[in-house]
Amino acid sequence: MILNGVEIRDSFAEAFPMIGTRLIITADTAKWAMIAAKTMTGFATSVIGCGCEAGVERVVPESETPDGRPGVAVLIFAMDLNGLKAVVPNRIGQCVLTSPTSACYAGMEGGDAISIGKALKYFADGWQISKMVGGKRIWRLPVMEGEFVCDHDTGSVSGVGGGNFLILATSRLEALTAAEAAVEAMQKVEGCILPFPGGVVRSGSKVGSKYKGMFASTNNFYCPTLRAQTETKLPPEVASVQEIVIDGVSFDAVAACTKAGIEAVVALGREKGVVAIDAGNYGGNLGPFHFKLREIMA
Amino acid sequence: MSGLTLTPRGAFDARVDFAGVLPGVADVARLPIGYGGCRIALGELFEVAGADDGRVTIEGGSALLDSVGAGLADGEIVVKGDVGAGLGRGMTGGMISVKGSAGAYAGSEITGGKIAIGGDVGERLAAAGDASRRGMSGGVIVVGGSAGSRAAERLRGGVVMIEGDAGEGAATDLIAGTLVVAGRLGPNAGRGMKRGTLLLRSADGLSSGFSEAGEHDLVMLRVLARRSHEIATFLGAGVTKAQRYAGDLYSGGKGEALIVPR
Repeated sequence: MILNGVEIRDSFAEAFPMIGTRLIITADTAKWAMIAAKTMTGFATSVIGCGCEAGVERVVPESETPDGRPGVAVLIFAMDLNGLKAVVPNRIGQCVLTSPTSACYAGMEGGDAISIGKALKYFADGWQISKMVGGKRIWRLPVMEGEFVCDHDTGSVSGVGGGNFLILATSRLEALTAAEAAVEAMQKVEGCILPFPGGVVRSGSKVGSKYKGMFASTNNFYCPTLRAQTETKLPPEVASVQEIVIDGVSFDAVAACTKAGIEAVVALGREKGVVAIDAGNYGGNLGPFHFKLREIMA
Repeated sequence: MSGLTLTPRGAFDARVDFAGVLPGVADVARLPIGYGGCRIALGELFEVAGADDGRVTIEGGSALLDSVGAGLADGEIVVKGDVGAGLGRGMTGGMISVKGSAGAYAGSEITGGKIAIGGDVGERLAAAGDASRRGMSGGVIVVGGSAGSRAAERLRGGVVMIEGDAGEGAATDLIAGTLVVAGRLGPNAGRGMKRGTLLLRSADGLSSGFSEAGEHDLVMLRVLARRSHEIATFLGAGVTKAQRYAGDLYSGGKGEALIVPR
């Protein structure tokens, strides 16, 4: 399949089930809501090394937030429920509770409950106040600045982690420019996050390593400087590859996000240095979710 | 008018115990109800019309009509007049609307649902029943008029809104939950209050165990206004600040009274 001069390879992204939740973080200003959101989703690129994958889903307008202040929706994914139950209160406690003027609310209902105030209330050392209104419990934790307000808990969803595609380009600048265009388009799709820095991964990995104890290592098949020393998946004109990893609340959300990203890259075309779109997989035997590039772009 | 309609055949000579007359009850005309010291079929006191579709309307109430909607779990009861004591007592869900006034113990120990009373209510609105330790623990009660003494005594949860005045000893021994009084507060309010929130127009009437903690811009008020129509109505548009009083400090309580002037 060739679209605007860009080859869409006959490949697929292999993704895994993850359990995730959404939080709505608000603050007096949009600036501080985003600071809290970015901080609490920091160091959460890969579940292998960070214990979870998290990112900003979207900016939430004042009219949609539980307290009428500027907000940001974040998604957090872990490999299992216990993992999620551990990382969510920890991250809120260290990064949202501490962030000036912030509040933290449930961003989804249903599924297993993930503690927010239920776990954080103890910080208030007995001065915490619970209010149950409209069928929902909120907690008020007196802090030096005033009060930190949060919901009792949030819901969870069985999601999909590790959707991805690779952008093969003729230079480092062109690969990154294409990746940035993809990220901008993908950030408009609700229900997904791109957990890596700026949404882009420059160091995609393969499973395993020659070194004992390493679960993942550099994907030498796509490393342009190793072309002469190892089996390569890169045509001669490709000098740089960027990857975009997608986690989402459902298969459809990840598929829609993947499509939006590839469409943005294809719009740049071969003229802007994009040679091909590929995807990372493990042969199809490990992950139950397969995002076939040509089917998505059909 | 849809649903079942119950119209009194005449004025009552004794108190009527309406407990058990709920939407969904079969053959309501033959349902035995208390009348003075005896039990008689409901049809002897009321003309029954219409079909039960989850809504029961009592055309013309009476201050002798006790325990209307007691134990209601689902459906709606509308009273086009007054009711006596124990309105909605122990209710868990559904909706009760009383166009007139209600007697003592209205909404006592309810755990859910909504009660709207157009007129005044007697003593111990939403309170614990006799010999009971816990009052209303969930749901919403709105009183269009004023409330008698000891409103929300031992309240444990939910929202009670009194649009008029509250009598002596409102929120006595209040455990948790929210009492909103848009009118004046009677003396000795909040005595023995453990936790919970009073939303008031003035601190006048608060028991001496309350101490002022300053004016605060509370994010919590923004959340409550969006989750409770009653609280939003009380606060008015854009109000996020309140004068906070903590109490009842004499009994080690951690409750609060938030004063939001009109």
